[in-house]
Amino acid sequence: MSLLSIDNLSVVIGGRVAALSNVSFTVDTGEVVGLVGESGGGKSMVGRAIVGMLPTGSVATGRVGFDGIDVLTMSAERLAHHRGHGAAMCFQNPRGALSPTRTAGRQLVDRLRTHQDMDGERARSSALELFEAVGIRSARRRLDAYPHELSGGMAQRVMISLAAGCAPRLLIADEPTTGLDVTLTAEILRQFRHAADNDGRGVLLVSHDIDAIAAVCDRIVVLYAGTVAETGPARRVLTAPAHPYTRALLRSVPDLDGRPVVVTPGAMPLLREAPAACPFAPRCAHAEDDCRTARPQPQRQGRQWTAACFHPLHDAVEAGQATDVTVGTPARRAAATEGAEPVLVVDDAHVVYKSRFGRGGHHALRGVSLTVAKGERVGVVGESGCGKSTLARLIVGLAKPTSGSVTAARSALVFQDPIGSLSPRRTVEDAIGEPLRALGVPAAQRAARAAAALDRMELDRSILTRRPHELSGGQAQRVGIARALVAEPDLIVFDEPTSALDVTVQAQILAVIDDLAADRWRGSVFISHDLATVRGFADRVVVLYLGRIVEEGPVEEVFARPRHPYTRALLSRGLSPGTALVRDLEEADAATGCALAARCPFVADRCRGEDQQLQQYGQSRAACWRVPEIGELV
Amino acid sequence: MSLLRTGRRRQDRDGRFGTVLVATGAGILAVVALAVLLGPLLTPWGPNQIDGDAPTLAEPGDAHLFGTDVNGMDVWSRLLYAGRVDLGIAIAAVAAAVVLGSTLGVVAGYFGGWLDDVLMRLTDIFQAFPTFILALAVAALLGSGPLNLTVAIALVNAPAYARLVRAEVRTIRDLTYVDAARTSGASTIGLLWRHVLPNSLTPVRVIAPLNCGWAMLTLAGLSFLGLGIAVPDAEWGAMISLGTSDVVAGRWWTSVPPGIALLVCVLGFSLLGEGLQERADRVRR
Repeated sequence: MSLLSIDNLSVVIGGRVAALSNVSFTVDTGEVVGLVGESGGGKSMVGRAIVGMLPTGSVATGRVGFDGIDVLTMSAERLAHHRGHGAAMCFQNPRGALSPTRTAGRQLVDRLRTHQDMDGERARSSALELFEAVGIRSARRRLDAYPHELSGGMAQRVMISLAAGCAPRLLIADEPTTGLDVTLTAEILRQFRHAADNDGRGVLLVSHDIDAIAAVCDRIVVLYAGTVAETGPARRVLTAPAHPYTRALLRSVPDLDGRPVVVTPGAMPLLREAPAACPFAPRCAHAEDDCRTARPQPQRQGRQWTAACFHPLHDAVEAGQATDVTVGTPARRAAATEGAEPVLVVDDAHVVYKSRFGRGGHHALRGVSLTVAKGERVGVVGESGCGKSTLARLIVGLAKPTSGSVTAARSALVFQDPIGSLSPRRTVEDAIGEPLRALGVPAAQRAARAAAALDRMELDRSILTRRPHELSGGQAQRVGIARALVAEPDLIVFDEPTSALDVTVQAQILAVIDDLAADRWRGSVFISHDLATVRGFADRVVVLYLGRIVEEGPVEEVFARPRHPYTRALLSRGLSPGTALVRDLEEADAATGCALAARCPFVADRCRGEDQQLQQYGQSRAACWRVPEIGELV
Repeated sequence: MSLLRTGRRRQDRDGRFGTVLVATGAGILAVVALAVLLGPLLTPWGPNQIDGDAPTLAEPGDAHLFGTDVNGMDVWSRLLYAGRVDLGIAIAAVAAAVVLGSTLGVVAGYFGGWLDDVLMRLTDIFQAFPTFILALAVAALLGSGPLNLTVAIALVNAPAYARLVRAEVRTIRDLTYVDAARTSGASTIGLLWRHVLPNSLTPVRVIAPLNCGWAMLTLAGLSFLGLGIAVPDAEWGAMISLGTSDVVAGRWWTSVPPGIALLVCVLGFSLLGEGLQERADRVRR
């Protein structure tokens, strides 16, 4: 018997939203199962059903069997025991889920005392062990740290230790790596694998990003519009998914090998009742008449492998289709831009955010030089805190350089948070027309140009009168891009334009951006934490680390032959042990010598004492003196 | 098969409750406003007209719906005419307070620095006094009359709006859409007027109606104490004041009708404000 066995679970909220329709899957002890899908697919509703915390006003039918007992019919007392002891949850936002006024250790000790009936002394020593087990360095010190003193990765580890501290049979992690740096995700995911292998727990990893969690999963369950589209062994589902939606998910994400992104049109529907036909049919290139009239039941594709599809596919996911709309194919790129006139020159710019009290402050950029020519597409990559958003703000004039200079032609910025970047009380038409208003364009012309910009975004003109809260994330981002475009600037800066969007919508937005950036008379800067996203977009890549450029070069060169240890770590996503960074980022790292020295696997004494300048290595430049030796060391 | 049904924490899933409150409040106020505006059609008597044929303090009857007061004037018609003064001054005063307070709040919140410090210390001084006492002092200083009363009530209410709007602006000025407007090249004035101000007024929309009810009570209180509208002009607080000694003697009709009128108006404003609050909360959720 499985540890968790969900059987024909349906959840209807308020009689109006069919959040889940006939969902069935199992999780065994010692198994890591990935639950993937886009927002609105019902992932978190499954998580809530398992811990018996469905939202008020929802009606659940079916069975959520846990150790043979149905969670849906548990008494309040049993449920209290079940949560924590039976199934424990790691929440998505670890900093928000930790109580800010109690130390991390205190919160863990409390749990150990309640759930495992330990006395104070024993709880504290167990807490120490748990902290060490999840890879928290100097655990004794961290026990007395308050949540705000922990970095994001550290907080996520504390969160895992908290969930594990209840000694649950099943560990549920809601988006455990979202918002974490690439160099950390592998390490965090290893903790879950460890919980399954060593402690014999069942683990359910909930994520929107199938690629991110794939490495540690035994099996994968793909949800679409509240139904299970496909479930099967991770390796099978990843390499040759049978369901077209799984394919769409995989192919919407750019990967490091430069595989082109394939765009799937449309968006996931919000269902009001259990679907009568295949919910993916309207977006599916393989849909036939039967898909639109009957709902496919899960059909066996192989051992432990089912897909709810009448016409399952069997070739490898890499095989493209003639009808595919792809992004980032090199053929569409502008040819050489050498000698073109520059639209942006940043020269040795420093930005220091002064602290409110007294001296000191946060040194966000430490001498960045960057030139972008007309028609050129530059990708800027770095993890959180590297200064990439400051660079974006600097280019468009929202931040002033403390020293150095910025010479930019007329520029526009596309923001990360699509809905938040639109004024809540202004209509779409108003929002798009804003830059024109500043230029003194009369109202009638503004309306016409706003509508034209919207057309280029392939949005219906009927949304011109809507307000931001009536838009989906993808629509809002198209509006944001239309606003950046409407005054025809010489430079558009895209600051993480897709990271707040669902996977298939990301691909659509990338396609739009790709199209705009092909305009020869404009320069584009594409900023992202994700190297793969940049690969499909840029001609030239700049890697930022703690406010400095550590590597710069043509995109193919940087991806094929990364020079700097940091770029190597990013590219391997922490998966190859030789290049993985040795610990989490700390702000103090930037003080003297090479900023990466404290984390670098190739560090030598010279690195700690000597600032590193960009040097030419082949076609690219890297700020590391050890580059020639590293190749032999790996 | 199992069935799990969870109760509703609150009956107001679709915001109907808030809408009902708003409709009730607005309905009450509409009826009062209509009666007050159509006053001359509803009564044959002028507000200050003395009926020579009727005795002073005549009981309610056919000739005089609510009887006459100690001066022999018709209470019903005075009630209607007084409503114009009360509603008018209350709404005008709150409107003035909102304009003044929001302007100060936006300026202080957006620019910060010494300007913020100076403006906020000023509001601190105002808010250090109990509001009614302050209104009393300002009214005494300015003298009576509708305009002066409006100014007095507006002045004592403005600091609260300044604080409220400033707090909102402090958050809004750092939001992404304000940055977006900046990168679009919007001027500071345009930025404040088109993006910061409209979005910072959300709490004001809720507070202002409640505040109108409070302003009416202040006005009536001032008049009751003799610092407001002077006799012979009709005003509810003054009417109540005039009739206090008669109420003790059992002649309720001079004081009770204006009292009820006040009650109804304040109730109307409260329901309106409460309903708007309810709906604002729902949007926030």
